[in-house]
Amino acid sequence: MHSAVVFKTSVFLLSLLLFAGCAPVDEVAVKTETIGFEAEAPSERVAPAVKSAVQPTENPINAALSKGISPQTIRIPSIGVEAPVQHLGVNDKGEMAVPDEINEVSWFEPGYNPGQNGRAVIAGHVDGLEGPAIFWDLADVQAGDVIEVAGEDETLTFEIYKLESIPLALADVSEVFGYTSSPELVLITCSGTYNREWGTREERLVVYAKLIN
Amino acid sequence: MKKILVTLAVVLSMVFSLGATAFADSHEGAKVRVVHASPDAPNVDVYVNGELTLEDVPFKADSGYLDVPAGTHNVEVFAAGSEYMEGDAVLQADLTVEAGKAYTVAAANLVESLEFVVAEDSMEVSEGMTKIRVGHLSPDAPTVDVGLIGGDAVFAGATFPGITDYMELEAGTYDLEIRTPDGTQVLPLEGTELAANTVYSVFAINTADSLEVLALVDYQGAGSPEEMPATGLGTPEQNTMMYLLLAGGLVLVMGGAFAFRSRFQN
Repeated sequence: MHSAVVFKTSVFLLSLLLFAGCAPVDEVAVKTETIGFEAEAPSERVAPAVKSAVQPTENPINAALSKGISPQTIRIPSIGVEAPVQHLGVNDKGEMAVPDEINEVSWFEPGYNPGQNGRAVIAGHVDGLEGPAIFWDLADVQAGDVIEVAGEDETLTFEIYKLESIPLALADVSEVFGYTSSPELVLITCSGTYNREWGTREERLVVYAKLIN
Repeated sequence: MKKILVTLAVVLSMVFSLGATAFADSHEGAKVRVVHASPDAPNVDVYVNGELTLEDVPFKADSGYLDVPAGTHNVEVFAAGSEYMEGDAVLQADLTVEAGKAYTVAAANLVESLEFVVAEDSMEVSEGMTKIRVGHLSPDAPTVDVGLIGGDAVFAGATFPGITDYMELEAGTYDLEIRTPDGTQVLPLEGTELAANTVYSVFAINTADSLEVLALVDYQGAGSPEEMPATGLGTPEQNTMMYLLLAGGLVLVMGGAFAFRSRFQN
C-alpha cells in the first residue's frame, strides 16, 4: 500500500519533471498552492466566554492584567510536532528572527507571551538544507486541532481556527503580531514558490489558534 | 444660478456619502465590550439585532471585545432565560459604532432605572507610558475623587454615571484611593501597578455601602517586527535532488521489469 503510493507519487513527479523539461519541482510550493480555512461561525458571537470579574482581596487593578507564560516547548499532536522553543527577537533585516536549528522553533519575545491577551507568535522552518524541517507538515493542520505550549510550570492549550497562506507583500505584520482581547497563538512558516531573487519563499503560512484552557 | 448651486451641493453630498459608505464597508469593524454593572439586576441575556449574543451575564462580568460591523445596532437586554419578544426588553438602545473604534457598553444603575452608559475606548498609548480612566457606576455613591493617598487627585469630581477621559501617566506603582472630595477615604487601592504600554478602565461599581472596583484592560501594546520571518533554508534544488533519486530508482525498476519480461517471453 505504502509503496503503491510512493510509486504513484514517483510517476507523477517523474512526469512533472519530464513535462517541465527538468525544471526543479518545489514540493513546498506544490503543497501550499491552494490552501487555507477558517472555522465558520466563531463561537464568541453565540456564547462568548463571559468572565467573572476577579475580586481578590489584593488590588483588583493588578489582577486585571494577564501575564502569560514563558514558552519552553511546543506540541502539535495532529502532525507529530514536538520541539523546544527558543526566545528570539528581530534580525538585522528587521525580520522576526528564526532558529539556526531546523528542528526547533522560535517565539517572538518582544511581542505577547502565550496566555497573555494578544497574539503570541512562534515561527519554525518548513525545510532545511537537507530536507524537511520542524514545520514541514504545518500545512496539514485542521480547524479544531490543538497546540500545547508548555511554560516552566504550566501548559496552555490552544485550538486552531484559521489557516492562510499570505503573499509576503500582502502580509499585515502589525495584525499578525497584534493585540486581541483574549489570548491567541500564531504559528508561521514559509510557503509558496521559492523566489530566487528574494532568496525566500513568496508566501507565509499562518496558523491562528485561541486559548481554550 | 441659485438652483445650480443647490444641485451642485446635492451632487457633492452624494459623492461624500458614497465615500463614507465605501469606508464603512472596509474589512475593519468595530469592537464592543458589554459590562453588567447593575448591582440589583439579575443575570441578563443580551440580544443584538434580535440575535442572542451574550447569555446569562452576571453582575460584574464583562464580555471581552466582540467584533461588530460598523453601523447602528439594536441592543436589547432581557433577564436571563426570558423568551425573546421584540420591544419587551428591560433595556433597549440603538447603538451606532464606527469602523476601527472600540466601545464599552455598561448596563448601569438599579434595575428599576436601568440605563446604558456608553464610552469610546482607547486602543493606543505612548511608548513606555500607561493610560487610565475611571468610571463612576455606583448609582447611590456620592461624587468621588481618585488620587494618590496623601497627595493630589488624579481624577477629580467623578459622578454617577460618568466615565472620565483617559489620563496618560508614567508606568509604575501608585498608592491610590477613592475618596470623597473632602478627603474621606472610600476605597484604598494601594500598590496599584500600572504597566507600561497598557490602557486601563477602572469602574467603581456596586452600591455605596459595598463599593468595589472592576478593572478592565482596554489595550496592551507589545513589540512587532517589520517583516515576517524567513522560515525556509531549503531551495527547490534540494527538494529536487530527492525526486531525481526517486525517479532514477523508478527508471531502474521499470527497466528491470522490462528485462525480466523479455527474458520470460523468450
